[in-house]
Amino acid sequence: MSFSQRWQRYRERPFWRLVELFVERIFRGGGDTDTEGLDLGVGLVLTLLAMPGGFVSVLLFDKYGSLLQWLRGQLHVDTLLIALPDEYFFIVLSMAVTGAVAVWRWDAMFPDRRDYMNLTHLPVSSRTILFANLVAVLFLAALLAIDVNGASCVLFPMVVSAAQGTLPFFLKFGALHAGAVLLASVFAFFAVFSILGILMALLPPRFFRRVSGYARGIVVVYLVTLLCTSFAVPDTLRRAAGSAPSWSFFFPSAWFVSACQLLRHKANPAMAELARLCLPGLAVVIAVAFAAYAVGYQRHFVKIAEIADTPVTLHKSRLCFGFLEKGLLPTPFLRGCFSFVAKTLMRSEAHRLVLTGVSGLALVLASQALMNAFQSTTSWRAAALTPDALSIPFIITFLLIIGLRVVFEVPVEIRANWVFQLLLDADGQESEPLARTVIFAVVLPGVLVGTFAVYCFLEGVTIASLHILLVLVWSVLLTNIVLIRFRKLPFTCSLPVFKQHSIVILISFCFGYLIYAGSTPEFEASALREPLRMLELLPLVLIAWYVQRHFANNAIEIERRMIFEESAPRTVEGLRLSE
Amino acid sequence: MLEAVQLTKRYSSIPAVQDLSFTLRPGQVLGCLGPNGSGKSTTVKMLTGLLEPSRGVVRFDGRNIQDDLTSYRACLGYVPEEAHLYPYLTGWEYLEMVGTLRGMQRALMESKIDLLLELFSMRPARHAAMGTYSKGMRQRILLIAALMHDPEIFIFDEPLSGLDVTSALIFKNLVQALGKAGKMVFYCSHVLEVVEKVCTDVLILRRGTVIAHDSVANIGKILGTSLENTFLHLVDDVDTMRVAGEIVEVMRAA
Repeated sequence: MSFSQRWQRYRERPFWRLVELFVERIFRGGGDTDTEGLDLGVGLVLTLLAMPGGFVSVLLFDKYGSLLQWLRGQLHVDTLLIALPDEYFFIVLSMAVTGAVAVWRWDAMFPDRRDYMNLTHLPVSSRTILFANLVAVLFLAALLAIDVNGASCVLFPMVVSAAQGTLPFFLKFGALHAGAVLLASVFAFFAVFSILGILMALLPPRFFRRVSGYARGIVVVYLVTLLCTSFAVPDTLRRAAGSAPSWSFFFPSAWFVSACQLLRHKANPAMAELARLCLPGLAVVIAVAFAAYAVGYQRHFVKIAEIADTPVTLHKSRLCFGFLEKGLLPTPFLRGCFSFVAKTLMRSEAHRLVLTGVSGLALVLASQALMNAFQSTTSWRAAALTPDALSIPFIITFLLIIGLRVVFEVPVEIRANWVFQLLLDADGQESEPLARTVIFAVVLPGVLVGTFAVYCFLEGVTIASLHILLVLVWSVLLTNIVLIRFRKLPFTCSLPVFKQHSIVILISFCFGYLIYAGSTPEFEASALREPLRMLELLPLVLIAWYVQRHFANNAIEIERRMIFEESAPRTVEGLRLSE
Repeated sequence: MLEAVQLTKRYSSIPAVQDLSFTLRPGQVLGCLGPNGSGKSTTVKMLTGLLEPSRGVVRFDGRNIQDDLTSYRACLGYVPEEAHLYPYLTGWEYLEMVGTLRGMQRALMESKIDLLLELFSMRPARHAAMGTYSKGMRQRILLIAALMHDPEIFIFDEPLSGLDVTSALIFKNLVQALGKAGKMVFYCSHVLEVVEKVCTDVLILRRGTVIAHDSVANIGKILGTSLENTFLHLVDDVDTMRVAGEIVEVMRAA
């Protein structure tokens, strides 16, 4: 009997049909609301998840190739030693990607109200639903671990053993690498799952939804921190004398890389200490996840009927203050839509998640810049005028502005946009001012006030004023550039189609970051000593202003009209004479 | 006065609505009936300006609505068939947003929202997220949103779906009261009894074309029977009793 025939026979059993249903739900959607937008195909998701490991492995050929090593004069290289940072990076990558997917599918991992309404009236016991969903979750964990690490499990050992050229080395290295990354993936998945289960087990349902958004945000920030510190941790561990540093116990990735090193007989005492946490840690996380899942299931799913009709009352909020309405939001369009956009940013989980991730990245990069600022000096005043310290507000504003611009493209409840189609004037050309107002309102007040206060205290009013003036001007220019020909109401348009120039735009943003948050603070650090030098930036500002005005003004009428649907550009435009 | 003149809409050359013409005068409540796929939703979308006709025009007070959609929509109250709303907004916030986008004065808007929420028994849930509302509650929010700016034209697409008995009775009386107050009401429904009771005129569609358009009383007189039988006679050539019998037979098959 072939596998497909066997599967067909299994499918006829209620339990396996339920497992199939739950696997489908985890991939295709979840939660009680019919949110649309980020629902990608299964094949595409799996391909995207498998890509980073493969790409990074291929890029490492340059490092491990014996010919290239010989050309560089590296004749006696300890492969296992130089592989440590890469091994650690693969473990972190595996944890970050798996953890991120678990956070993304957070709402879909537990049976929800829709399942309750569809399944509980059928002759299927609650326990069967519990176990079927658990099997689906285990399947997802296994699939993710294999998919995310599959390419690196083959390619990375091949790359590393290229110089050694022996099969036993390849097999031993490959087995240990595969074990470490797969276990790290499983750990990350069950860690996120256990956080979800614990919250469900401990919190009443009405608070759970509120808290879960923040919990997901914290997990995302943690994963970003893990990624951003991946270049520093292995070296620190290698140099650690005596027992392991206390912070390293909070980095499970360090446990797994230490276990690898221990099994390769390359571990120092600190690594040996960390390696001992590996398997007990994994066992504890899985046990907690199962226990919390069972309790959470009992508390939430079984009692959905009791909690389904209890509306969660939100605090009545007035986001638009009188002065804001009169000054910044003069038209009904701006007043009504600003409130809508602000509430979506605060309450839509998908949007909050993306913004939290971007904010976390900004926080990590800003922290790194701050640490760098103190590398050459211990004086706060001296450190404040280094390019690293000056770059902090630039880093934060750049990432938040770009992050918001990206978030605007992610739709929310797209079928509900009929109300805007009905009420808004598509030719009113107010989308761009609205988006600009939202970006300024979200990004600028905190950054400018905070920066001004710190620099006023450390360097005086003149330096503080010049610094925030430059941050303000750069933020306005960047906002205007990213909003050129923006003609949507945020969150109400279908996802943009892939365009050929999208990659060019992506690369432009990378270069833009280097100029915005790299070169500008470098120049500023020297110019602040002679404030008149700041005028040298004036021509650059004027050119940037002129260019973005030129693009904005040259848009034809149809390009200014508000859209609610992104359509793919046609290869051949038909005349449609029959219509 | 709202006029539809030879409205035609084609999707990839397949006609959804063809040569649809009617007039809606102040005080008139025009019911629109038709089976699934008869073109009701397309007609409603063209009347609201959400869809541009392939041919023909919709005129309001003699002017093509497409010439100035914004001012036309200011006179329009619309309740769509499906209550698609933003689940994370509260009922109050949604109504406040709609009122603001309509340019209503804040004080007037807030007092109207308060009173209408009270009258539709929605006051206790006004600060709850709409994602937690039942279908009937969402429908009531849409009704309030359509009423609060005192429009001239009302377009109701299946407005009773999900409403409880009391709210449905209130709504039926409301439609009649709107007609008496000189408003123009275009009312799409599958519920024949309601159309028969609240509408002054009826328009019956089949496969995108009008097959009957007259006052409710006249249509009954012509065929000498109820609206339900008239509808079945004109639209569906189906023996409903026979189909029901066959369904039971299939159900009981061993």
